[in-house]
Amino acid sequence: MGETVQLDEAGFETLVATHHGEIYRYLRRLAWRAAEADDLSQETFLRAYRARQRLTADANVRAWLFAIATNVFRNHVRSERRRRAAHETVRATRREMDLDGPEAEAVAGEVRTLTETTIRGLPLKQRLAFTLRKMHELDYEVIGESLDCSPESARAHVFQALRKIRTSLNGHALPLTEPTR
Amino acid sequence: MSKPQSCVEIEPELIAAGIGEATDRESARVQSHVAGCRSCRDELARYRAVDAVVGTLRAEPAPAGDADAARQRLIARLADLKSRLVSYRVFPSPLGPILIAASEHGVALVEYLRGDARDSRLFRMGDVDTQEGGGALERLHGELLDYLAGRRTRLEWPLDLRFARSDFERAVLQATAAVPYGAVSSYTGIAGDVGKPSAVRAVAQALRHNPLPIVVPCHRIVGIGGELVGYAGNRLGLKEQLLAVEGVPTVSRAREARIARAAMYHYDPNPDRQYCLPTCGDIGKRPLGVVKLFARRELAETTGLSPCVDCRPDLHPLAS
Repeated sequence: MGETVQLDEAGFETLVATHHGEIYRYLRRLAWRAAEADDLSQETFLRAYRARQRLTADANVRAWLFAIATNVFRNHVRSERRRRAAHETVRATRREMDLDGPEAEAVAGEVRTLTETTIRGLPLKQRLAFTLRKMHELDYEVIGESLDCSPESARAHVFQALRKIRTSLNGHALPLTEPTR
Repeated sequence: MSKPQSCVEIEPELIAAGIGEATDRESARVQSHVAGCRSCRDELARYRAVDAVVGTLRAEPAPAGDADAARQRLIARLADLKSRLVSYRVFPSPLGPILIAASEHGVALVEYLRGDARDSRLFRMGDVDTQEGGGALERLHGELLDYLAGRRTRLEWPLDLRFARSDFERAVLQATAAVPYGAVSSYTGIAGDVGKPSAVRAVAQALRHNPLPIVVPCHRIVGIGGELVGYAGNRLGLKEQLLAVEGVPTVSRAREARIARAAMYHYDPNPDRQYCLPTCGDIGKRPLGVVKLFARRELAETTGLSPCVDCRPDLHPLAS
């Protein structure tokens, strides 16, 4: 553990300016609705603000913020699950997903839609590990810290996710990449 | 139909190769396997294709407007949190455990704790977000210890009077903060200072709720007859200790402590700004508060006063 540095007000503003966009996108990928991502990203940075005095000088701020965001999202899923257990169904939630306007057009491709649906249906840890690795390119080490598991299990979660995506695309023509020799 | 064992074993490395994460050694193993295994060659191609599809999802720009709006809302909420956030810590002191709490504006609460920090009045305040810790509080504690040991005569801390309950209380605290080190005034004196000469009881009430004892020196405020009344509940001993640190003499008679006026320099506001010996005319009988008291000549002179030309405190200083 390095020496703790007091992140002053200006320092925290810089942190928000630098990382908010990416953390918001991460949560937007995980959450069903834009409003949820909005709330969750606020929650993430408010928690970070309160915890800023525990940040060490040599800390990886980006990894730290992803860990907080991941934690915030997992808590959110847990409480949503409890809240919803009684009456609502997951189906109803899916209909609430905002896939409107340009966004809907962007995912018009059948393969991409299918891929997205598969990702959303993954078990939580796999989905988080996959999103952190494949959408935000974090190291397995950092992902492991966010998910309270070893880098090896983080990698295993990502690979399991890829297997499921690959299986879900069985029977669909995939865009050709470099030919295999 | 199950896959051959060698295909099952190579699968994780095949995925790694498909998504571009394989080490050189893994790549070589995959290449040599797929060279002789058609189904795994197809599999590798599928993983590469999956990775390409995932890549298009990654590249997809997030709706920028949403993120901007979210950031604006975050900045507003952060500002709100900052304004409500008060950091606190409990420190040991010669006067017992003391809780110090500060906001972004300054020190908001100094409290003598009797028991657990959880019982602090900080947690009974509305509209406040509390947080334990904060490096800046350490420095305040150090200065406070210096002050209590007599190594420092001023605590030049920015103050946050948010816990004062009214503008009147705030005015009383400000007037009290203006009473210098080693000087003594009375509730009547402060009532006069805030322009409400008849509000003596209200002044005493306001100081009873002083959120910043020691820093806002309510221990320098006594009854009109010089009696030490009302401090930190009923801990008059603390008041006496704090006065002793500043060199203010007190006498105890029949379980009641008073300021020893006869051993202090007197100042009755006059155009020449001259301070006197307690024996100058009837000054020793004038009401305390109207007359301010100083423990030492230098303290009177630091506030811009000069020796009275009749009683000459400069030539006949009080025995200290």
